Amino acid sequence: MFYAQLAVNGLVQGLVVGLGALALTLVFGIARFPNAATGDTMTFGAYTALTVHKASGSLALGSIAAVGGAAVLALVAYLTVFKRLAGRSVVSLLVASIGIGFMIRAGLGVAFGHQQQVFNVPLSRPIRIAGLAINPLDLQLATVAVVALAAVFAILYLTPIGRQMRAVADNRDLARVSGIRPERVMTAMWLIAGGVSAVGGMMLGIKTIVSPEVGWEMLLPIFAATILGGIGSPVGAVVAGLVLGVAQEVSTPFVGFTYKIALSFVVLLAVLLVRPRGLFGRIEGVR
Amino acid sequence: MSLQVTNISKAFGGFKALSGVSLEVPMGGLVGLIGPNGAGKSTLFSVISGFMPPDEGAIGFDGRSLDGLNPAGRARTGLVRTFQVPREFAHLTVRENMMAAAPGQTGESLVGLFLRAGKVREEEERLAEEVREVIRFLRLERVADEPAGKLSGGQKKLVELGRALLVKPRLILLDEPFAGVNPVLIGEIMERIRELNGRGIGFLVIEHDLEALTRLAPQLYVMDQGRILTMGAPDAVLADARVREAYLGGAV
Repeated sequence: MFYAQLAVNGLVQGLVVGLGALALTLVFGIARFPNAATGDTMTFGAYTALTVHKASGSLALGSIAAVGGAAVLALVAYLTVFKRLAGRSVVSLLVASIGIGFMIRAGLGVAFGHQQQVFNVPLSRPIRIAGLAINPLDLQLATVAVVALAAVFAILYLTPIGRQMRAVADNRDLARVSGIRPERVMTAMWLIAGGVSAVGGMMLGIKTIVSPEVGWEMLLPIFAATILGGIGSPVGAVVAGLVLGVAQEVSTPFVGFTYKIALSFVVLLAVLLVRPRGLFGRIEGVR
Repeated sequence: MSLQVTNISKAFGGFKALSGVSLEVPMGGLVGLIGPNGAGKSTLFSVISGFMPPDEGAIGFDGRSLDGLNPAGRARTGLVRTFQVPREFAHLTVRENMMAAAPGQTGESLVGLFLRAGKVREEEERLAEEVREVIRFLRLERVADEPAGKLSGGQKKLVELGRALLVKPRLILLDEPFAGVNPVLIGEIMERIRELNGRGIGFLVIEHDLEALTRLAPQLYVMDQGRILTMGAPDAVLADARVREAYLGGAV
């Protein structure tokens, strides 16, 4: 029962990692580089949500603002930097994304200071379901995450733009000669990746604290989940995020609170060494 | 009213891949293009379909110059090509592959998706119906919802043909449609080509399988070393001594 409780606690953490990994894997699958600014985009979302929440008292408004703000931020990063570097090596793009991450973090530090801030959400009594204590706030956050994920997967798998995004991920040349317009696909992809990151960032901020570094510090588990799920596989990213979140919590009694983050690193190494394709791998999709 | 290739030349470094190639495919025609390996057939296709600019020469389609149009632009005029090694979106299903071949819809931007949901749905349904028809025509129903990457070589060729059909082509350039395809499926593909030709779609077909092509195309061009050697009806062309020499290495 104790472990089941830990596992349930891990689910929300896992959703945060899964959302970040989804954003990372979308960019990797379509724009073909690991976007190290993913974590900082999450932080940006957390601060946007925090600010709007403070001003309006509404978490719903906060999350809408966060999604919109981070989506625009991601799009601006694409238009001003990544688009111009298209066709360069993966390393140039990676380094550029590290730079953008720094800029976002520094900007947030200047604007909001480096002290930790918290969301003022009312504490509520946990509800008991089948003997497990579940925090109603966790339930709300999980619902928001699931809705966000459902929206992303609906776009990816049920709409023309989603089909084109997957087509570009599969075979960029064929997509181009088929008349699929790369700018449109990229625009949609960056908006979605930014929005998804914001949802993750907001959840992270509500569950823990908000500081300019929270997102950056999430980057390792996010990368681990992306690789575990199979780079470029959206479903894999989410599933692996959940697996990792749960595994981290369940491992806490054994490795202690401080070191649970190291688990992602172990997973990352193990996957790279044993099964580089990941769970839902499609290594051939990553050229 | 035709595809008009005039005096095309193309060199790669010092190697002249095409020198002064001219040919013509009448609208609704079915023309074959044969020649030994390295004769320049695929290069010619790449030039015609806009994948490669020619050094010299002009290409006209339906009385209009294609110069300066990219492959997608040429496809919109009704001129599409397939590839010797079939290309597909490996992780998309056969159905999705074909749906992705018909761009230009409202649902291709997020804004369109949300603001004009009704129109998007309508277009998707119309497109899905077209795709269903093409899948039925190509007898691909059984694999319609399989990822295209899992199909056999011959089936992939059919998917390519299907993708070409969804662009509403008037002329299809087929690059070795029978290469690596099992004999049963060859007959099948040939039947489909004839049927489409009967509906008024023109074809220019590169093929290595001489026997198959002479059965299919009433008119052949022969290429060798970047030039058109001769053209005419299959019997006359095959009887030509120069063709035998080039194609069969003089082993007659």
